[in-house]
Amino acid sequence: MKRIGLLLLLVAAPALAATFTDEEARKIASHGPWPAPWSGDPSNRVSGNKNAIDLGERLFFERRLSVNGQISCSRCHLPERNWSDGLPRAVGLKEVDRNAPSVVNVRYHHWFGWDGAHDSLWAQSINPIFDARELGMSAASVAKFIRSDRDMACRYRKTFGAAPGTDDEKILVDTGKALAAFQETLVSGRTAFDDFRDALARGDKTAMAKYPEAAQRGLKLFVGKGACDTCHTGAAFTNGEFHDTGVSFFVRPGEVDPGRYGGIKKLLSDRMNLLGPYSDDPKRSTAIGTQHVSLEHRNFGEFKVPSLRNLESSMPYMHNGSLATLRDVVKHYSEISPDRLHSDGEQILKALHLTDAETADLVAFLETLSDGGGQYKRRPFPEDCR
Amino acid sequence: MHRLLVVLLLAAPAAMACELPGGEARKVQSAHYLVLYRTQPAPLKVGQHFAVEFAVCPAPESVRVDAWMPEHRHGMNYRPTVTATGEGRYRAEGLMLHMAGKWELIFEARAKDSVERVAQTIRLE
Repeated sequence: MKRIGLLLLLVAAPALAATFTDEEARKIASHGPWPAPWSGDPSNRVSGNKNAIDLGERLFFERRLSVNGQISCSRCHLPERNWSDGLPRAVGLKEVDRNAPSVVNVRYHHWFGWDGAHDSLWAQSINPIFDARELGMSAASVAKFIRSDRDMACRYRKTFGAAPGTDDEKILVDTGKALAAFQETLVSGRTAFDDFRDALARGDKTAMAKYPEAAQRGLKLFVGKGACDTCHTGAAFTNGEFHDTGVSFFVRPGEVDPGRYGGIKKLLSDRMNLLGPYSDDPKRSTAIGTQHVSLEHRNFGEFKVPSLRNLESSMPYMHNGSLATLRDVVKHYSEISPDRLHSDGEQILKALHLTDAETADLVAFLETLSDGGGQYKRRPFPEDCR
Repeated sequence: MHRLLVVLLLAAPAAMACELPGGEARKVQSAHYLVLYRTQPAPLKVGQHFAVEFAVCPAPESVRVDAWMPEHRHGMNYRPTVTATGEGRYRAEGLMLHMAGKWELIFEARAKDSVERVAQTIRLE
């Protein structure tokens, strides 16, 4: 009888829901509330502007914003794929070297792109328009399109208060600012995790019990043994900064992606950064990171910590799309070798040595960070602008 | 005992004269310096830029502020700038603690032939 009882306990044990210490509960609370508060971008005078959002949405899906008239931003940022594309590496006019990052929740970021080469969403939005492998346009060709299309020119005037003038670069920057205004509206919905987080905060055990037990155990690993919340912090599950996670930075034999090292160099030499003439914030209140960012050798091979919200629908993962599934990602951190890290003596990551059951629990938790999709509905665009 | 008295006597004038107007301040003491500081904003959050207002007594020739994560063996991703605001007081801008865990906020005071560091432990969740 005793043996049977013990056996039952051992079999039953893995299925138990987790209990949380006060410290764990505080850590879990720090991943909310959701949606997180947001107050607009002072460097973009049309941030939150209804006409700018409308213009930006049109531009986002506008194929004439590419040199061959065939592709738009939505080629790599598809609403139905969590605003990514499902490919390991994005393909515009040609294949690029990195995975297309999702643009959902991008308004909460302070660096943009896997290498953080841009310090504002509007500057980041200009980058793919220019890149010969993405949309392949120039300031002149963008300005010509906006000026010559009656509807676009009208919407530009309604947004910026004046008709598009003769300054091509200004029109290009304004195009980026309208695109940014639209992307700022893309916020993921509430998730099963958010309901659990709120229930835990108010001590509502009935509501807490609705959260799957495997996800609860995975959450305990996330804030405990896994220490995943060291970098995946806050309501968006990212500190917005850069780390080397032991993922290869070889783009092809003999060629490397310098990651954050190249990003900082690009940022500081870019006249469209927040210290430059195109910021609309005279106080430069959001430029403090650009003013103080430090270029270090250890930045080589560092890439941005992605948000984990809606992770389930944005596979494949990592900056180069080299890991196909969430299980692969968890396995990567479970088995990571310090020899694969390119840091200057940093000791951040060590192999977690998770069991199969722990791996499954962690994946179960990560899956609860998704809103199920369908938050965005593309509206029909009325054609006439007056 | 005598030695302790000498240290106390030396430290006392610095402590008495040291002030950081504008509200409550934390104190950190090294062998020769007393540092009073407060962060803006407070409390600190992971991934949020902040400034440090501080006073160093006696006033050194120059000061530097930095932060370090001893268990991870790395510092910040940002290099703060320090501006003297007069009477041994300073303001450091551009700091950010980008990870959760234990950090050391470091004040470095330089005089003619010496560099002295004083560190304050900060734990971020």
